[in-house]
Amino acid sequence: MAGASQGTGLRRLFWVIPLAMLPLPLWLNPYQQYVLNTALVYVPVGIGFNLVVGNLGLLAFSNVAYFGLGAYTSGILTASLGLPWWLTIIPAAIVGGIAGFVASIPALRGVRLFYLAIMTLAFGELMRWTYIRWETLTGGSMGMAVPTATLFGWRLDSDRSRFYAFLILTVLVVAATDRLLRSRFGRAFMAIKDNELAAAAMGIRTDRYIVLTFAWGGAVVGIGGSMFAISVGHLSPVSFDLTELVLQFAIIMVGGLGSLAGSIIGAAVITVLPQIFISFPGFEELVFGLLIILIILFLPRGLASLLARLHPAFVERYYRG
Amino acid sequence: MMLSLLPQLIVSGISSGMLYALIALSMTVVYRATTVVNFGQGDMVSAGAYAVFVFGMGFGLPFLVAMALALALLFVAGFAMQRWLMQPIIAGPHLSLAMMALAVGYTLRGALRLEWGNETINLTRPYPQDVYMLGNVVITTDDVAICGFVLLLFAALFVLLQVTPLGKVIQATFQSQRGAALVGINVPAFHATMWGGGAALGAIGGVLLAMITPLTPDLGQWTLVQGFAAMTLGGFGSLGGAVAGGILLGLTEKLLGFYVNTMFIEITGYLVPILVLMLRPQGLFGRRAVVRV
Repeated sequence: MAGASQGTGLRRLFWVIPLAMLPLPLWLNPYQQYVLNTALVYVPVGIGFNLVVGNLGLLAFSNVAYFGLGAYTSGILTASLGLPWWLTIIPAAIVGGIAGFVASIPALRGVRLFYLAIMTLAFGELMRWTYIRWETLTGGSMGMAVPTATLFGWRLDSDRSRFYAFLILTVLVVAATDRLLRSRFGRAFMAIKDNELAAAAMGIRTDRYIVLTFAWGGAVVGIGGSMFAISVGHLSPVSFDLTELVLQFAIIMVGGLGSLAGSIIGAAVITVLPQIFISFPGFEELVFGLLIILIILFLPRGLASLLARLHPAFVERYYRG
Repeated sequence: MMLSLLPQLIVSGISSGMLYALIALSMTVVYRATTVVNFGQGDMVSAGAYAVFVFGMGFGLPFLVAMALALALLFVAGFAMQRWLMQPIIAGPHLSLAMMALAVGYTLRGALRLEWGNETINLTRPYPQDVYMLGNVVITTDDVAICGFVLLLFAALFVLLQVTPLGKVIQATFQSQRGAALVGINVPAFHATMWGGGAALGAIGGVLLAMITPLTPDLGQWTLVQGFAAMTLGGFGSLGGAVAGGILLGLTEKLLGFYVNTMFIEITGYLVPILVLMLRPQGLFGRRAVVRV
């Protein structure tokens, strides 16, 4: 217990990390800045995915659908209606959350394991097909341009300015999810993951928690999608195919399943890693595939578990085994 | 006018349905043997087709030799994948098993893309390309080859399962792994063999698929979804169901595509697993796929 309380005190220090990141743009060249922004985009994406897959332990493969829906919501609202970007973040989160809710319906009806995986995989592909076919709104397979984002009238026309917006959003998402996981919700997730039947028998309304996690996860990933939209400035259906799914899977597997810190570490590693190699088509898939294989075989709890071994402050008490 | 095309639609529906049936069967064999769904099977299918391309057109071997080599290669790949990648984590959570299979598929696809990029490859048919007219129904040699080959394969599998001693072993292990282990069947070896067999079956599907569509590394993605659709439609884990589900899927796709809206040709494969698992989770011939909590 002493170790745990010591850890809790030290955990406050983690909030220094975003502060320490504030001056980073002074040293980064535009390319490095773009990579860092992309890493920030993938933090909420990884967090939302990890909640459902890692914390709740359900095989839902529809994360790319929430991501794409969030991105297209922001893209379409800014391009067609001329709304400023910051006003579209909440709609993107809502659309992502609704998609998460829809994806949770089969889980509520008792579809589990591989069956749930197959259904959610089909759902994701169906969404991608929708982006291709709904040409009037999405520009079809050619894609659509996303206008320059504005934040309260301030034009986010450089990667540097977007960095601060992304950093704020990411910190908000991390803080909110951390609170959620440390409340009784987090303990309920743990109980459901360990043994759903026993959790239900203890009076935990498992169905409510499942819906909540899917919706929360979807909303968070939708915010990530909204950030992605303005970061790349151009949306096309190719960005939301099964290759993207493996990238997002690599984030949570490499970072650590069910670990909030893991989602952050995974987002950083998986975004930066491909930049080190000269990129050939197919190389990323090959590297991510091998990386996931190695992680499952030799480090099943991901990089976050290495940190947890170093110091009790890194141990996340709302997740185990 | 509309109805006069019906026989033609049925013929082409059955022809593509046979392919889906074969792919679904290759996944069902693996699932029945190990209760693990191979999410990498789609890429095994396209790897099989690429292997035939390399052996046949790269090394200039005759088609049947190339195909035999490709099947052997994929068998070894499937066997090795089960033995060294799946078996060590078989007691772990389902998520790891699904991820492992998916990751193997991605590694394969990445390797294919690295070598052949996004170019499309057409396999040369080992038979002349021709059409027969049956009344006003056009039947291509592709239809004949695919249906003939798949039916022959199904017949061979049926005999293997029902008549031979090996079939008895397979059926026994399908029924109860523990029971099979108790009577002296080497269950881990059996698992690996069935993964190899599933991969080889999938490779045959890939080669036949390559007769009618150009090969791209992304073929595996589409194949996986179609295979799932056929599998869920027929009922998970049922061998006969996989075949029936595949043929039904092919027919549904073509009929809805023609009579309702062409978009159904593209999305039937996505809609079927969603609808079937929501409305009738056991599919047509399978067991219940639902966990009651």
